[in-house]
This record gives sequence, structure tokens and C-alpha cells, in this order.
Amino acid sequence: MDTPLKLRERLRLNDELFAKTGCMFGLETLAEKEKSPGLYEAVWHILLSVCNTAWEVGCKVSASPVAAEGGDALWALHTPTGECICTSYGITAHVGLLASMVRKFIELGYEDMPGFRQGDIFENNDPHYGGIHMPDMDTAMPIFYKDQLVAWATSVTHVADAGAVLPGSINFMNPDTFSDGMPVSVERIGEKDRYYPWYELRIKSRTRTPDWVLGDARGRLAGLITVREKLIETIDKYGLEFFEKASREYIEDSRRYAVARIRTQAVPGRMRKSQFKDLAMKGRDVVMPRQNIDLLSNVPMEMRIDGKANVTVSLAGASASVPFGQNISPTALSSALLMGYSHVVGFDMFNSGPTYALTVETPPPGSWCNPFPVDWFASTGIGWASAIRWLSQLYEVTGRLYHARGFVEEMSAGAASTLCAEWNGINQYGQYSVGLGLEQASNGSPARGISDGEPAAWCLYTANADFGSAEVMELYYPIMYLGRNMEPDSGGYGKFRGGPGHTSVWMVKNSPELRYAAACAGAHSKITANHGMFGAYPTPGDRLAYAVDTNVRELIEQRKPLVHDRGNDPERPTLAQNVVARVMDNDFVVPGNISETLHEYDLVISPTSGSQAMGDPIERDPALVKDDLDKGLTRPWVAENIHGIVARKDARGEWTIDVRETEKKRQGILEARKRRGVPFRDWWQQERGRVAAGENMDEAVKRMWRSSMKLSPGYAAELRAFWSLPANFEF
Amino acid sequence: MAEYDIYDVEDIRKLVDGELPWRTVQQMMKNGKDRDRFDKWVTILQERVSWKEKILLPLTPALFIVQKPRERVVKCRCGQEFGDYRVNWKLSALIHVRDTDEKLSQVYRGYEKPDPAWMQLREYYCPGCGSQLEVEAVPRGCPPDFEFLPDLDTFYREWLGRPLPESCEFADRTLQRIGEWAE
Repeated sequence: MDTPLKLRERLRLNDELFAKTGCMFGLETLAEKEKSPGLYEAVWHILLSVCNTAWEVGCKVSASPVAAEGGDALWALHTPTGECICTSYGITAHVGLLASMVRKFIELGYEDMPGFRQGDIFENNDPHYGGIHMPDMDTAMPIFYKDQLVAWATSVTHVADAGAVLPGSINFMNPDTFSDGMPVSVERIGEKDRYYPWYELRIKSRTRTPDWVLGDARGRLAGLITVREKLIETIDKYGLEFFEKASREYIEDSRRYAVARIRTQAVPGRMRKSQFKDLAMKGRDVVMPRQNIDLLSNVPMEMRIDGKANVTVSLAGASASVPFGQNISPTALSSALLMGYSHVVGFDMFNSGPTYALTVETPPPGSWCNPFPVDWFASTGIGWASAIRWLSQLYEVTGRLYHARGFVEEMSAGAASTLCAEWNGINQYGQYSVGLGLEQASNGSPARGISDGEPAAWCLYTANADFGSAEVMELYYPIMYLGRNMEPDSGGYGKFRGGPGHTSVWMVKNSPELRYAAACAGAHSKITANHGMFGAYPTPGDRLAYAVDTNVRELIEQRKPLVHDRGNDPERPTLAQNVVARVMDNDFVVPGNISETLHEYDLVISPTSGSQAMGDPIERDPALVKDDLDKGLTRPWVAENIHGIVARKDARGEWTIDVRETEKKRQGILEARKRRGVPFRDWWQQERGRVAAGENMDEAVKRMWRSSMKLSPGYAAELRAFWSLPANFEF
Repeated sequence: MAEYDIYDVEDIRKLVDGELPWRTVQQMMKNGKDRDRFDKWVTILQERVSWKEKILLPLTPALFIVQKPRERVVKCRCGQEFGDYRVNWKLSALIHVRDTDEKLSQVYRGYEKPDPAWMQLREYYCPGCGSQLEVEAVPRGCPPDFEFLPDLDTFYREWLGRPLPESCEFADRTLQRIGEWAE
């Protein structure tokens, strides 16, 4: 009998086979699939079910609001060398990270030291070694069958607090890695199906919500053991040889599906889309003096598809890392891209396969998406922030490709933004608590090529959009929901609008004091997203509202109107109309920490963005505008001025469109555009002077251009050439 | 794969025009894709324009790359032409830029309004019909996005299996045009 190859040797062999054949594991034929397609398919669904059972068990055991109520967790099954075979539902953005973590164990020689045994538990949350940010704790367990390592089970949960410098888990404010929280750096953290005591002691002393963090740890472990037990049953039934062969074929099958989908539904060529991410912190509460700064990050996407349907993605032009938590490692970015890719390209069998169907060029060293070569101590407190904005482009880019080929049912516009709500303070049970709201886990979905997006039913970073039950969130946190409503016009303006997001109105309840952070996992505030697909207007930026020391108690006692929504007029928000407060801000730029401590009857109004629209807004079917007017999903001002609709509201509150007047109005808008539009060349002549002079450009904008041009000389040369600026021009 | 070719041009027309029930659309999403969808798509689009040039590739709902006797150009559904498809068509469009508080307020109001020192809203119009073709929300200094430069010859030759009569270098010619302007 041959001595089994060491895992590191198998990794090397896999890489060689892929380089030689272009197929994962050198699988030029899918023998098990061809031999027995029914069995092949059936076992795939059994393995999926194994992972999903783990998700159900793990989330229930965890009991933390983020996992149990929001399902921000994942369990997956991997080959012995780490490639993901299949995954549960949940936060699929982590699949690539979990796969690379197992690979990391092998590359670091862990097979020899400390060795792999049944019941071992390994973990990483350290972004320097493949994690995304400390609160996402990635755990793995080798699975042995008759003394042979046959697979890995992995899991991730997002814990409420990982001990960062400020409370919470959306740590945009971290100035450097020393403030990122409690690291678990590619460690063995337990054996014999139990955590080491020192692992639990570390959580108890280094996180603010140890019960929830330990609950999550136990949830992950329960799910991992579930995967192991169920997998062993599956192998008992179908045989190890079949499992080993079929599991590799599932991955290669998935790679082929992604490649085939590009070839049959896209078009070769070059796609480009600019995107930007704002972070306005000058003059606001920050942790360190160097954070007293306004920043704009350049998050560009270029996708090239060659004649063999190979997809290459570039971030040339990405701007520099930032002294906040909004940096991300290339490993984590690639994992996020795999998740986005699974939404729009390779979604038949979701696993590591599509990773090998695309190439992500190494981002510029020193940029927000590859900070460590230049700044080893850069923070990745919320690595998702700029990455989510970058990923949003994948939806529009592939949407354009599918449009070109005629697959209009597969099109999507860009994604929504991600503003998060974080609380910390004494809860209604008298305990110190840190909590993450889950509203951001349910955006509207992007407009399709043939219809509007769906309201509050979609999320970029998890396939399971779920904002949790308001009543349950009230049990976890000392807040009362005064409202949770669809936000009118939050899905942009277009022929088809994105699904609207929703607005939550919270009143502090049963807490002596509470702090609030409008935290950022990919929000916009000073800018909108660059998603004007086919002539639509992007969704507006995210702005919070809050009121401190209010008269709400009196309003309740006097049975006067409260605040249940943002209102119908952004210039006259309901909060300002109905409530009197010592401090009130209806236009709070996010992200940011509210400076004041909140008390009973104080209010926070948090918007959750809708997704992007598509097409010229004056081509929107008047019947759809009427429907939105009747349902309160668009405002009369928008219907009239943006969509060119002439309508009247009757006494019963129902709207009637004047078709003839609408046609006239729309014709007038077309003519007005032609009058006010200037030939591009004329504008270019004027604009290049303003660009050269830096006219009306915030310092954040100039700073961004400077670093983009420094880090990507080719990008810089193109920018200068476009504006006919001298070769030595700098902003 | 013939079992996937279950939709005819009329089915796709109804899909495009939003005339199919949502359940049917969902089924079309789940089913295997028809291999000749592109031809059906172009057939539908070609019938909807009044001009005769052959559509080589739709770029947006309003813009198409079409074959002229000697070149491939971008053309609007209204007939307006934007020149060589390898030059960003935006250079031949009308542009209106909202880069002040007042201009932005005509689209975004109150707390929805972005900061004009951080971002300008660029609207690209067709000079022929006034359609709003694309909108960009970018900081000053950002060159216009050249969203899609297709490799048409590779597409027709290698993916569709029917080469175009004359090949054309796959290259971005935008900066060349800019260079001509600067002279």
C-alpha cells in the first residue's frame, strides 16, 4: 500500500495539476457524474443538508442575537487540502476565507506540528493571516474516517464584540491593528471536541460580551461536530472512495459552470466602473489625532474577459490605506468577490470552484485593499466597508454583460449600501451589553432588466437577508421600535427602481444610559454610489437622525403624534416637526459615533439603503409610478420632477395619472435636456482647467487622487492624459 | 442541449417587455439558457429601430454598436451616431453636470443631498433625442467611465462561431481622440 501523501505535497500536486490541465485536481472528466448522475446529485444535496443542519444547530446553541436572530454565521465542508465542497446558508462571503485558512494550516506545517487529530479545533480571526476582521471568528475541525483525514468542517460567526478599542463589531474607528481586538492567530484552540480553558479565559477577559462570544464559540463547535457526525454517516452509506471522488468533482463542476456561464451569457472585452467610499471624520469624535481627517477612497473595478472566458479583475487605481478600520487584505477581498460571483455568475454548486474561474490581480501594495506590505499595522476593523462598495460594481458590470447578450432576466443594477447600528451600555437587565442591529441585513434588491427590485429582501454579503424580528430585538437590546417602514425613493430613480430599503425608529427604553454608533460596513454619506446604470439616478447617501433629551415621554402621556418614520419630505423631517429635544440632528453624516449619551425616550432613526435603479427615469411606466404613489413608495415631488408624471390625488387618497399631460411633460424634459446639455468636448475644455486648479475639490478628493496616482503609475498616466495634464501634474 | 432551446422570439419579446408572469420569469431563470438567445435578442431590437444598419451588439437599452460600410459605430435608437465604438461614446454626447448645491437639489433634497465638493453628478444625454443615457456620481477629476469595450471580433469569431467580415483592432481609442482635441 502506498504511503499517503502529506497534505502539503497534495497541495503542491493540486496546484501543478491545475496549472497543467486547467481543471481542478486535474479532473478533465467528471467520472462520477457521468457514471451515476442521480447519485452524484443526491449526495450533493445530502452534503448541503449536512451543512444546513449544522447551521440550524449552531445558531440555536449560540444564542447570540447576531447568530441566533440574524443568522450571521456559516458552516462548510472542505477537502483535506481546504477547497470548499459545499456550504450552509448564511454568510457565504466567508467561504474563500475558510478555504484559505485550512490551506494556511497546511502551508505552516501544522500537519507535523502540532499535528491533526480527530476532535482538534483550530481557529483564526487575524487579518494578517487570512481573516477579514477580528469579530469574524473562523473555526475549523479536521474530520477523520478510519484514521484518515478525509475532510474539514469549518464555521464562522460574527461575534458582537471582539475587544476592539471601542465597543462593537463594526470597528470603523480603529486607528491600527493594535486596536482591532483579541487575535486568534491560526491557533489550535481545543482538542477532544472541547475548547482549551485558556481560550475561554481569553474571551472572558478580552471581550465585552463574553457570554455571547462564548455562546457563539460553542455554537460553532456544535455545528462542526454536527458536520463531522453527519459526514461520517454519509461516508458509511456511500463509501469513502465515492465521497472523495465526488467531492472533488463538485468543485471542478462548479468551476466549469462559472466559466461556461461567462462564455454563453457574457461578452469578451473590458468592463470599467469607478466607485468611491467616503469617510468624513474631520472635527468629530475619533480615537487618535491622525484620524482627524476627511477621506475619500478610490475603489475602482476593471474586469477583462478573454477569448477563453478567463476573467481577470483589477483594482489598479485603488487609493492608499486609511488610519481607520476600512482596509482589507487581498485574501479577504477575494473571498468577498467569490461570494458576489456566486450571486451573479457561479451559483449552481456554491463552493471554491468559481475561485479558479477568475483571477484577481494583486492590488497595489499600500492600498486599502492590500495594506500590509506597506503598513503591517493597518487596521482591518471593518474590512467590509470599502470592499462592499467595490463588490457592488460586480452586479452592475455583470448586469451590463448579460444585457448585451440578451439575458435580461439575469440583469441587476448595483447593490445597496451598508449602514450598521451599534449600541453599548446598560441594558434592560442591568448588565453591560454591546449590540449590533441587523437592519442592514435586509436591503432592497437591485433593479432587474425587466422589473423593479424587491423591497427589504436582499443583502449583498449574505444570501439570507434577514433583519430579525423587532420584538426579539427588543428583548436583546434596551430599545423600543416606534417604526420600521419602507423608505420612499430609497431604491434610486430609474425606469426600474431598486427595491426600497427601510427605516427604523428606535426609542431608548429601560436603560440608564446608552451609546450609539452609526457604524459603517459600506455606507455612503458625503457622496452617493456611482451607479447611474443606463441613465438612472443612484440611491441617496445614508444620513442618520437622532434626538437627545426629548419630550417624547410627554408626547406619549398627552397622546400626541410621535415619530414612526422619516417623513415624506427630506427638507421637513417628521422628527423635527413632532419632537422637541435638547440636541437634534436630522442630517448626521455617517459613519460616526453620536457624542451624547442616550437616555430613556431618546430617539435614533436609522435608514437602511435600497439597491440601485436602472434606466432613464422618465421612461418609467406611469402605472408603476401610480402604484408607488398609492403605496407611499415614491413622493409626489419625485414623481413629478424626476419621472415627469402629472398626477392628481383624489379625496380617498388614490392617485390618477394624466396620461396626455405626462407625455407632454416628458417631451418637455427631453427638450430641456438638449437645451441644458453641452457638447462633451466643450465641457472637457472647461473642466480640465478646473481639475488642474483643484477648483471646488475637497481636500479628501485631492488626497485620494494623489495616493491613487502614486500607487498605480499606469492609472495616473491615463488620468493625466485624459485631462491633457503635464506628465508631472499632481493634485 | 436542444432541450434548453424552448423559447422562441415571441417568448423573449414578452420577457423583455415585462409581459410574462413572475413565475414564468423565475422558471426562465432556473431553466437552462437558450443557446441562440443573442440572435433572438438582436432580432427583437433590430425590429424596433427605424434605421437599417445591422446591430452588432447592444450596449445599453438606447445605444448599439452597429456595422456601417467601413466602420463600427455607436448609434442611438433615435438614429444619432456617436462614432467609433472604441472611443468612449460619452465624448460625443451632451453632458450636464450637477456640481453645485442648487443643481444637486433638483435631484436630491434635504438630508439626501451629497456634498458638491466631494462629488459631481454627470448626466449624459443623446444629442438627438434627449434620452438620459448614463449618470455618473464621481469626484471631480475622474475621467468618464468607459463602461464596456467589447472585443467584438473575438466574440463573433470564437464564441458565436461566425467571424465578422473585417476584423478591427481591440483597443481603447479614447485617449487618441483626446489627444486630437488637445492639439
